[in-house]
Amino acid sequence: MTVARVLDTIRRRWYVAIPVAVVVGGVLIPLVYLLLRALQADPGTLWDLVVRGRTLQLLGNTVGLTAGVLVGTSVLALPLAWLTTRTALLGRKVLTLLGVLPLAVPGYVMAYALMATTGEYGTLAQMLGLVVPRLSGYTGAWIALSLSTFPYLFLNLRTAFLGLDPSLEESARALGRGRWQVFVQVVLPQMRPAFLSGGLLVALHVLGDFGVVSLMRYDTFSYALYIQYAASYDRVYAACLALMLLILTGAVLLLEARLLKGLLFHRTESGTGRTAAQYGLGRWRWAGYAFALGVAGLSVVLPAGTVGYWMADSAASGVPWSSLGAALWDSVSASAPAAVLAALLALPVAYLGVRHPSNWTRVVERVAYLGYATPPLAFALALIVFSLGAVPFAYQTLGLLVMAYAVHFMAEAVGPVRSALYQAPPHLEEAARSLGRSPLGAFVGVTFPLVRRGLLVSMAFVFLSAMKELPLTFLLAPIGFETLALNTWSYAEEAMFGQAAPYALTIMFVSALFVGVLLLREQATERSAAAERT
Amino acid sequence: MKRLLSLSLVVVLVLSLVGCGGEQQDELVIYSGRSKALVDSLVQQYRQQTDVPVRVRYGTDSQLLAALQEEGDQSPADVFWANTTGALGNAVNNGLLTELPDTLADRATRFTPSNQRWTPVTTRFRVLAYNSDTVSPEDLPDSVLDLPEHDEFEGRIGWTPAYSSFQDFTTALRVTEGEETARTWLTNMQELDPNSYTSNTPMVQALEAGEIDVALTNHYYVLRLKHGGAEGEYEEEEHEEEEHEEEEEAAARASAPVETYHFAERDLGNLALVTGAGALQTSNQPDAANRFLRYLLSEKAQSFAADRVNEYPVVAGTPVPGYMTPAEEALQLSPEFELQRLQEMDPTLELLRDVGAL
Repeated sequence: MTVARVLDTIRRRWYVAIPVAVVVGGVLIPLVYLLLRALQADPGTLWDLVVRGRTLQLLGNTVGLTAGVLVGTSVLALPLAWLTTRTALLGRKVLTLLGVLPLAVPGYVMAYALMATTGEYGTLAQMLGLVVPRLSGYTGAWIALSLSTFPYLFLNLRTAFLGLDPSLEESARALGRGRWQVFVQVVLPQMRPAFLSGGLLVALHVLGDFGVVSLMRYDTFSYALYIQYAASYDRVYAACLALMLLILTGAVLLLEARLLKGLLFHRTESGTGRTAAQYGLGRWRWAGYAFALGVAGLSVVLPAGTVGYWMADSAASGVPWSSLGAALWDSVSASAPAAVLAALLALPVAYLGVRHPSNWTRVVERVAYLGYATPPLAFALALIVFSLGAVPFAYQTLGLLVMAYAVHFMAEAVGPVRSALYQAPPHLEEAARSLGRSPLGAFVGVTFPLVRRGLLVSMAFVFLSAMKELPLTFLLAPIGFETLALNTWSYAEEAMFGQAAPYALTIMFVSALFVGVLLLREQATERSAAAERT
Repeated sequence: MKRLLSLSLVVVLVLSLVGCGGEQQDELVIYSGRSKALVDSLVQQYRQQTDVPVRVRYGTDSQLLAALQEEGDQSPADVFWANTTGALGNAVNNGLLTELPDTLADRATRFTPSNQRWTPVTTRFRVLAYNSDTVSPEDLPDSVLDLPEHDEFEGRIGWTPAYSSFQDFTTALRVTEGEETARTWLTNMQELDPNSYTSNTPMVQALEAGEIDVALTNHYYVLRLKHGGAEGEYEEEEHEEEEHEEEEEAAARASAPVETYHFAERDLGNLALVTGAGALQTSNQPDAANRFLRYLLSEKAQSFAADRVNEYPVVAGTPVPGYMTPAEEALQLSPEFELQRLQEMDPTLELLRDVGAL
């Protein structure tokens, strides 16, 4: 591609050039700046910092935890997704909701709930006399992260189960395979793309998480980075750690892309798809219920109950309504603009990808994931260093925080908009154009109303994530700007659970409302799938 | 239409960037290395009492110091309220703090630095906390320096290398006993595979939960666990309901199997440390800054420190709750140590990183 052609493309697709420039600029410039800062250090010191046993240990721990959580989330999400899509269990809708609700529980709250439950003086011991060792280290981090991130995988697997072509299974059955064999040999392999995309989200969360690992005291790169930032603020070493974490994240992305390559599963027959038969579980349905309710109990009821218990504790001494209100306002005033901005950035990217698919647009979509894949602590650190050095007026402003949220969470906004666009027939827009509307006019007048719902879901996703978000907020919030998440964290870190409870409960309550909005999308896909079938 | 949309997009971007960037002039901006959980209600009281709009940036000492350095002349901060002498000394060395008026510098009876650049606010002591179900105090060493010899505590010791008080203690160890002794002590401790915590409260709770047997911490964390920052016996004033609740809670936890162990008299393990605050050179409202410092030394704020945080006041005549060791007695245990020697934090951090504790 010549320069002239690139320029021409940019001119014609200016509406994509803006979000791409924002994301690329927002992510890459600070990171490059961070890299330059790290390289300013004396090479000998740098070498000593990077090449030592501790780095290897951090690497081993981080990879081990990520792998463990991937297994843990699969064990939780796969059966649950199957139960809610392929069986005739009653109350599948409720079970689905229970599978998504953990998204409303921040990981650090989950970690605290687990720590308060176990141990010699934990609630388990006090209420049931059951003494299990207090969760910490690898086991603690593994359980807490698995319980709080499995919905990402669950949602992906559900969609995949719903879209399965039953004829493959039927052929396999006709050829004499048993149910279990069919599941392992025919169904599971078709789940691979969903596993990969859901697993990628889970892995990115684990790599970026610092709340759970620092509460559970498990040394990962993010934890080490947090310690460096909090304890000594050695910028060179912090920058090194951030870069090593980035390299690890890059490796995970490459691996995912590699595994995904060449995978293509589509229906075998022509015509419209059919719904797969649903299994009646017979006596096994009780096992199904027990599993689903067990997962929900651990991932939703346990943290909500624990926080509720603390709340009762602090309610007696008065709920701090005014600071709760202020914190809610701070949370919303950062999360809401970020949600809108992210959706606005996502719209042209998704539009280009759906209407003009090409290699070029795939690159653009990958760019959207750039921000998401950058571990938040490294990203925030880069932004601080960059803003102080280059744009000091933006340092510690709400604007910078909103930009950081939007760039980081934009990837979450692309998906829903894209599915909405797929359902908006392009010929409507073409008709509008033939009636004399400009391209933009046609889009705004015809397509936009059709994708509004998708945009709403996008915003809900970003809003939900931004409400819980800790590392970016922690490092970038303006002075005196205290979101619900920051309040929860600062009280919980001092183990003042009673004081943390009102804030944690508010996050969970507000988030739970938005989880409802997320399910709208689920139902929309289900309905459109059903409409396609009939 | 096209232009309108692109224009509105640009406006959104610009607005979100500029956003709440503007800042009011008469606001008092405090950079606090003390944790929000411990001091927020004190700040709230000041806000109500004086109607001065106060904004606090909470962080750790080193984080705020780094921020102050990075911000340079443009720093919005008026007051630096630090958790450790080390950080304050460091700030003085870097020329960040102004000299305080005599009336302010004279308030505290002990530990005031000769350069008058900051004032102590509270005193705390390093201690060894232990789980009384599993450890008997007779088996504990006379000196903190001998702690690494107790390999029965392998994997059962708690410490907080990232926490500023621990770093102050390490600095003291380094400057009194020499770099090599400090390195050996840290290395030997590391061999016992200690549990590192990011802050003290969770560590003391882990001690209660039986996760560890002993923990190097500050004295008030044990008291706060057992008494919940409740008021002592000496005061008969009318209690707010809130405090009643806390006392009830305190009664429930007073039986927690966590006790304080003091090393032998004058051992470094009993070191007295102070928190303090100073006014920043860059402040454009030094009077307001000094007013806040004076408030920290007022009877009300000093009593708050004693009653609610269980630290020792620095202004003479402020009573402490009955369950606290009298200040004089605790001071007897601490070694004589010139606190200004704590200001060299960097070699300490380097040392901690070197031995792999950070």
